[in-house]
Amino acid sequence: MNGSSLPPDSEGGEPSGSAVRFGASRGRDTGFSSGRETGAAQLVELITLCSRGHEEAFAELYDRTSQRVYGIILRVLRSPDHAAEVMQEVYVEVWRQSARYSRDKGSVIAWMTTMAHRRAVDRVRSVSSEVARDERYAFHGGDREIDQVWDGVEQRLDVERVRRGMASLTPIQREALTLAYFGGYTQSQVAQLLKLPLGTVKTRIRDGLIGLRDALGVEA
Amino acid sequence: MSEIHGAVGSYVVNALDGDEREEFEAHLAVCPTCTREVQEFCETAAELSLLASATPPPAALRSSILSAISEVRPLPPELLPPELLPPEQSAEIAPAQPSPPPAAERAPADHPIDELALRRQQRRTRILSVLVAAVVAAALALGGVVYGLVQARQSQVAQQAAETELLTAPDVKTYTATMKDGGQVSFVVSRSLNRAMFVGKGLPAVGADRTYQLWTLEGQRPIPDNTVPGGGDRKEFFRETLGGVTGLAVSVEAAGGAKQPNPSTIQVITELAA
Repeated sequence: MNGSSLPPDSEGGEPSGSAVRFGASRGRDTGFSSGRETGAAQLVELITLCSRGHEEAFAELYDRTSQRVYGIILRVLRSPDHAAEVMQEVYVEVWRQSARYSRDKGSVIAWMTTMAHRRAVDRVRSVSSEVARDERYAFHGGDREIDQVWDGVEQRLDVERVRRGMASLTPIQREALTLAYFGGYTQSQVAQLLKLPLGTVKTRIRDGLIGLRDALGVEA
Repeated sequence: MSEIHGAVGSYVVNALDGDEREEFEAHLAVCPTCTREVQEFCETAAELSLLASATPPPAALRSSILSAISEVRPLPPELLPPELLPPEQSAEIAPAQPSPPPAAERAPADHPIDELALRRQQRRTRILSVLVAAVVAAALALGGVVYGLVQARQSQVAQQAAETELLTAPDVKTYTATMKDGGQVSFVVSRSLNRAMFVGKGLPAVGADRTYQLWTLEGQRPIPDNTVPGGGDRKEFFRETLGGVTGLAVSVEAAGGAKQPNPSTIQVITELAA
């Protein structure tokens, strides 16, 4: 099967139309392949095989993406038990929906992380005890969210690049985006955490994404 | 309109609550600008996910997921019949939007089917665990032999499928008993599959010239079935199917088995529910 000849640990982060911003010399231990474009194209190939029922291709897709997908799910949920459940939901969905993916909708990895993030957040909101957690965080929360994001960052070029992109945002944009994306908070909760009007938070989140998008040069 | 447009960032990072999300999705269906922006932001958010330190998921999760998908059929590429489509997607198709809905949009659109299959999957998993739990509980005296069966699924490929099928049959029942010689037995029975399995724990050694023998009972009539060596933990499917079978029995016989059970060597007789 085609997929099995691919190198391990490569992971595409972008659609094939994206500019390559980095050389091909990054090590495998980063968990990301040297050629982002190639990696992304390979993921498309794997998902196409999945849509035809190739379980081997799915296994490879899993191996190439699971660290990243699990990383974001765990980051949002914090509980490994919940994360494992959501992870299973997400990958079963990826398999089921593989024929519904199409390249013009964006990269495979964005498709997958979007689904993963959404389900993780849905899980946060559906677990009622989380309400209490949210309120606790309202008192000691904000900085910790941000610290943990920055502490957990490995010195990888990809990560560095995103980190620099985040650093280019204003503090409020960065905080709002971080709380929403990694914290799984609603914009109203973020507004309360940051003691800002809702409209301001909404704008900051969007401006944050625009700033990050421009800093990263992502082309959809 | 401009205010709702401003929610595009919050939408992509899933920071809208239920009502806000619904409202925004309704807007999205008619706003190509937002649709494009959502798609771009999804790529940006995917990059943002790199800041969550990549964490290897537990190894067991991989096998669990791989075995889960083997029971799930990928959806065909076609869309659902119109009556099953949620309104916002129908609305989007009707005016023939220039750009297809981006990733984030398809999630809600596909939700009903996702959830349906997911629930089915979860139900199956739940049924499986309930059944396994029931079997394990019933066989508690067996010190986990049946649990071991479930555990051993991965290595014993041949019998595996049959055992799994039996253990997950909707009507599976477990009958547990202690034999005269002290051996612990369970019969795992499914009428719908027409199969039964003998599970023995800590069977006494019966000597090289003797063997345990399984019997199916049709009323008073015993029909010889497979033999099982003594000593230790054993499991064995009944050869006979269960049509007309009212009970199961075990005896100790001379090696090779007997045509008729010797009443004095009957170890256990279990009546089956119809």
